[in-house]
Amino acid sequence: MTGMHVIVTTDGSQQSLQAARKFKSFADPSKVSDISVIAVVRPLAAVGFSDDLAPSKASAFESLDFRKAAESAVAAVAGEFDDWGPKVHKKIRSGSPANEIIKAASQIGAGLIVVASGSRGLSDTVLMGSTAQRIQNYAPCPVLVVRPTKRKLRKKA
Amino acid sequence: MSTTATELDHPDEGDLKRSITGRLLFFYVLGDVLGSGVYVLIGLVAGAVGGAFWLAFAVGVSIATITGLAYAELVTKYPQAAGAALYVNKAFRNTFLTFLVTICMLSASFAAAGSLATGFSSYFAEVWALPPVLLVAIVFVLALAVVNFIGITESVVVNMLMTFVEIAGLAIIMVIGVIHVGRGDADFGVLTDFSSEGNPIFAIVAGVALAFFAMTGFENAANVAEETVRPAKTFPRALVGGMAAAGAIYVIVAMTAALTVPLDQLAESPAALLEVVKEGILPFPVGFMTVLFAVIAMVAITNTTLVAVVTESRILYGMAREDVVPGVFAKIHRARRSPWVALIFAAIVVITLLVVGKLLSNAGIGIDVVARLATVTVVFTLFIYGLVIVSALKLRGSDEGPDTFRANTALLYVGLLGNAILLVYVIVDDPTSLWWCAGLLGLGLALYAAERLFGHRDRPAGVERGEPTPASDDTVEDTQHEGEGS
Repeated sequence: MTGMHVIVTTDGSQQSLQAARKFKSFADPSKVSDISVIAVVRPLAAVGFSDDLAPSKASAFESLDFRKAAESAVAAVAGEFDDWGPKVHKKIRSGSPANEIIKAASQIGAGLIVVASGSRGLSDTVLMGSTAQRIQNYAPCPVLVVRPTKRKLRKKA
Repeated sequence: MSTTATELDHPDEGDLKRSITGRLLFFYVLGDVLGSGVYVLIGLVAGAVGGAFWLAFAVGVSIATITGLAYAELVTKYPQAAGAALYVNKAFRNTFLTFLVTICMLSASFAAAGSLATGFSSYFAEVWALPPVLLVAIVFVLALAVVNFIGITESVVVNMLMTFVEIAGLAIIMVIGVIHVGRGDADFGVLTDFSSEGNPIFAIVAGVALAFFAMTGFENAANVAEETVRPAKTFPRALVGGMAAAGAIYVIVAMTAALTVPLDQLAESPAALLEVVKEGILPFPVGFMTVLFAVIAMVAITNTTLVAVVTESRILYGMAREDVVPGVFAKIHRARRSPWVALIFAAIVVITLLVVGKLLSNAGIGIDVVARLATVTVVFTLFIYGLVIVSALKLRGSDEGPDTFRANTALLYVGLLGNAILLVYVIVDDPTSLWWCAGLLGLGLALYAAERLFGHRDRPAGVERGEPTPASDDTVEDTQHEGEGS
């Protein structure tokens, strides 16, 4: 192992882009060998994936092409790490986001997962926990959870 | 240190893994189809045809399965979530027709959800009769919106479990049928009995028109087409297999119901399959079986209604992203990533349908909300199905790959004819359903008009309708996009 393999997750939200930037702002690129930007499409959800980062409206019906939306979000986040150093991989999986991210982390032996936590409100605590919470609870490696409020960074080991 | 490289890794590494296998898709189709009908309207079909109403299910299943072949062919060519609207767009290249089909799909889901919610409350009343039926239906619709918002049912495991419960419910009915026949109590004469006056052919057509609702829902399999593993191979098999399995179950269940329960009793019951259980043929306390069966029926209906709610909010989201309806429907909740405005709106529309139905029946216009909304769904879906078959035929020769599934052409024409006959029959038989259809279509047009009139407000200056809008957050602008692609 030359360096750490870091998973940067995106759900297409601005917050996930902020999380990627937060990670980049303090991490040492010489200690990181690989970055995998991962998006998870949810096939049975009302909206399988929504990309707020580079929304495409190119032609009819593309908005329901959730895989394409995921690809464009992954590309937008991966773009943050251009010329930074580590090798960048783009991955798209499908299923339940927390499960798939944890599975991916185990498969590639990730050293860190970067994840955005969407909100602070009711839905985070009452409604069965968010994706970020589930990842924190079950991840095989440390998790960096980037909360919406700036300067409220929290690191879990 | 390695050099900078942004690449899309090889799919074999599981990086572009799709999660819906053929087996999951089979159960998805089966669960979706089973919940939508037999629990809700078997009594109505029995009343329309007579003891031979299993034939109505058999014919309805056949026509729907042929339509399923057209869907299978088109999905292998265009494995995307948009379904019928996409196929019609590819085949006709006509914006208005595409819009019409989209609105019809939306309306069909609204009407189906309304009918199913009423069916749910009928079974609920068997367990706890105190709350008013309308209230139960409304709470049900709201609860499903919340469940969709949270995303509980996105789990394929939950989906499979619900389907198994549904099958278990119908298996109970089938066991009752076997025991009944085994005891020699069955009078098979009833299976060829047409109690309604006049031509048996018309009785069958009437029954098929009603039974057809029980087959709707399979088209929602397109929702997961994109995430299906090797769609060209698995999709046709899983879709047609799921429909055929559902069809076989329907026919056996219908025969059992006819053999065990007097016909007029079936026809009058809002929760007709419970009547079969109440005959007390199984060696269990009837009270216990009734509650158990009612719960199973509610699970089945919930499963199918959930898919309808997903479809509604998806269509609204898609149309909003394409600037066809107001952009507010594309709003995604920050943490939940759910289209919350679309979900709320869909719930309001369905509740309005239920309340209007209730008001009309209070005003003395005796209508059966389940039957009326089922008919409305059928009118919309028959129209869509017909267009999908035409699209399949029209798109022959284009976009075909070596893996493309090809449906039997003669069968497709038979299916088209079947859909057309049913559509004409349903409209002639129940012209008032057209008012409901018009109301739902009018709603779609109103949304379209609202976007035309006020839509410019949610687009930045200088951006034309349908053009990509720059992301709202200005932080995106400094994002580097150079490394995109492979």
